[in-house]
Amino acid sequence: MHDLGRLAVCLALVCSVFAVLASVVGALRRRGELVRAGEHAVFATSGLVILAVALLLRALLAHDFSLAYVASYSSTTLPTQYTVAALWGGQQGSLLFWSFMLVLFSTIVLVQNRARNRDLMPWVTATLMVVTAFFLGLVTFIADPFERLPQPALEGSDLNPLLQNYWMMIHPPSLYTGYVSASVPFAFGIAALVTGKLGDQWIRTTRRWALFSWFFLTLGNLFGAMWAYEVLGWGGYWAWDPVENAAFMPWLVSTAYLHSVMIQEKKDMLRVWNMVLVLLTFSLTIFGTFLTRSGVISSVHSFTQSGLGPFFIGFLLVILLASGGLIVYRLPGLRTSGTIESFLSRESAFLFNNLLLVGIAFAIFWGTVFPVLSEWVRGVKITVGPPFFNRVNAPLGIALLFLMGVGPVIAWRRATAKNLWRAFAGPMTSGLVGAVALLVMGVPFGGAFLTFAFGCFVMGTIVQEFWRGTRARQALLEESAPVALSRVIGKNRRRYGGYIIHVGIVAIFVGIAASSAFQIEVRETLEAGDEMTAGRYRLRYERIEQSEDGHVQRLAAVMSVWIGDERIAVLQPEKRFYKKPEQPTTEVAKRTTLREDLYLVLGSFDPKTGLVTVLAYVNPLVVWIWIGGLIMAIGTVVAAWPTLQERRVIATDAAVLRGAERA
Amino acid sequence: MIGAAVLLGLLVATPVVAGQTTQQAVEESLTCQCGCGLTVHSCNHIQCSSGEPMKEEIHRRLAAGEDKETILAHFAERYGEKILSSPTMRGFNWLAWVTPFAVIAIAGLTLVVVVRRRVREHDVAPPTPPPAGDPALRARLERELADLDRDA
Repeated sequence: MHDLGRLAVCLALVCSVFAVLASVVGALRRRGELVRAGEHAVFATSGLVILAVALLLRALLAHDFSLAYVASYSSTTLPTQYTVAALWGGQQGSLLFWSFMLVLFSTIVLVQNRARNRDLMPWVTATLMVVTAFFLGLVTFIADPFERLPQPALEGSDLNPLLQNYWMMIHPPSLYTGYVSASVPFAFGIAALVTGKLGDQWIRTTRRWALFSWFFLTLGNLFGAMWAYEVLGWGGYWAWDPVENAAFMPWLVSTAYLHSVMIQEKKDMLRVWNMVLVLLTFSLTIFGTFLTRSGVISSVHSFTQSGLGPFFIGFLLVILLASGGLIVYRLPGLRTSGTIESFLSRESAFLFNNLLLVGIAFAIFWGTVFPVLSEWVRGVKITVGPPFFNRVNAPLGIALLFLMGVGPVIAWRRATAKNLWRAFAGPMTSGLVGAVALLVMGVPFGGAFLTFAFGCFVMGTIVQEFWRGTRARQALLEESAPVALSRVIGKNRRRYGGYIIHVGIVAIFVGIAASSAFQIEVRETLEAGDEMTAGRYRLRYERIEQSEDGHVQRLAAVMSVWIGDERIAVLQPEKRFYKKPEQPTTEVAKRTTLREDLYLVLGSFDPKTGLVTVLAYVNPLVVWIWIGGLIMAIGTVVAAWPTLQERRVIATDAAVLRGAERA
Repeated sequence: MIGAAVLLGLLVATPVVAGQTTQQAVEESLTCQCGCGLTVHSCNHIQCSSGEPMKEEIHRRLAAGEDKETILAHFAERYGEKILSSPTMRGFNWLAWVTPFAVIAIAGLTLVVVVRRRVREHDVAPPTPPPAGDPALRARLERELADLDRDA
């Protein structure tokens, strides 16, 4: 069976290389049958990779410890869901899983474009299969998940206990989906550059793919933050670790692209810039994988380190040189006719939005690689940690929040004093009222204050947009308010979906600012019956409870929580001691409300004295970060939902295909 | 715009987190050496062999009247610069802080210059003639106009 798995991977590699060659030769010599052979090779690659994944999954579930991978990342006592998650829990498996997602997306792209974009498709196929071949090459020659042990192990060494969490089922697949699907706009961008068809065709085709990738990057980042919040037990959710940064950078650049592409579609500007952003997003996904896998930069997330770094850096250089070279070669064709008419215009606001988004991505990149630079230049190891990233990114983020209120309502082409007043009187009033309310509440001036005030300003612009759209329909078409509101969204899903996403971002900004600036933290050592106070909460340590199964030993401190004289909850923060490998972990207990989280961590327990050390955090408004994520998800679905016209195009394509197949 | 830039500049210069105690500020300025990758303040390993003694030492030194900079200098001397959770603002490390803002400022200025030039070009350019359209259509139009002239 293992040999079958290895054979499947090897054959998949051969098929992907064939797909590249057939597509390129077919396109250059205009031989349709070769192009079709290339596409069939993609389907064959997909089938073989799916077979390999199925075989590895079977080996994991059957506890086949003759495979080094299965013995390293699972055990007979590991719960089934984590045994499945072990598929992407280790180096070799995660590379195979990456290939799996890539072939899956490649297949979907080919099926979607059977009747469309035929001039671009050979190059799209070739690009996607070059990336696939790179990953399959690593799986075949460097990181083989089907490698056998000389002697089968009696028991596996198990998955890292930190990864034994339900988020392990959700966070990595989301992030991988976001990372890997960024390959699709990249492949179309390369195809447009090679063929010289540099208009909007490739951009329209990949709009939903770019949104899809961005959406899953958003989810991946937020799920990672939730996981860190629940598992690491230090009261926060984002530590600016290099691997967290690696997931955040492509999100920022992808966000910049989703904005600037609107300028290209509406004003025929920024063709070069959009191309750069697409290539950069993809390159950053590879850079992220390099950071996770290479161990060049130390990270708490580098659960699997290896000597793969040079391969990723080599591949990254090839991508940057090839795509950069193509852009330079096609520069004359990328020049556009559109121009900017005024500083006070939506085009200009979008340009500065792009500057800030890419600027923040650069600041994070710089901070992430600076330790390596310092070691090269001075030979001195240094750390660039959370204080640096918070200090540098807070002002940039706040400026971005401000622009988020300006961009959607400032006029296209040229804003006049009159329409500026009409657009901003409401939002500015909203921002000022918010600022005054904050002053009255005694919120000190600083990052959090500005975030809240600008948040009110942005919400003002969004509410005003919905209000005006609804009122206009009510006045013209005599519709009721709910009908007018739903139709105003339905008629322009992309725009209003974008506004909904902005509401989510404001919620996230507010949650981050409040929980960073006004966190309360108390640490006490208690004996049974002792009390401590954290913010408005009174906490009483009742007793310690112990339990054990074959896999893990649990130690839980039972804590009664009171507000005034009312007992509102019993929380049980835990320490867990995993048996294989022997490692303690923290299980946080928390009580979440819209106002704040009470977050308890069991620091230590002394069995001799019965004393426990408890850390209690009160994190204001933190739940709004997760609610913001949910709002963003709703907004993305609204923005991506096909319009009636697009549904007609899809139906026509399908009819054309059916006709062609019958013929 | 300038006012907003000044406000944001002030923000960079002031700590992001309000209401920190000095003990917390020092703990957050130091990286725990247990391998957790977090600051001394954030590390919550049970009886951490690195973080716990450091927290106690910080407490002792603050009680003895030492200020934040003196304590950080002491730890940096003992463990090397890597113990500081962010680069110092001196020498080569200064580049870590300045570069992101310098790059954004230069890119922003370039953007302003380019936009200004485009705006000026647009303002002085004569109104663009209507698009020529399809050459075949244009030829047909000219032919028909000529026919009209002939008819007239």
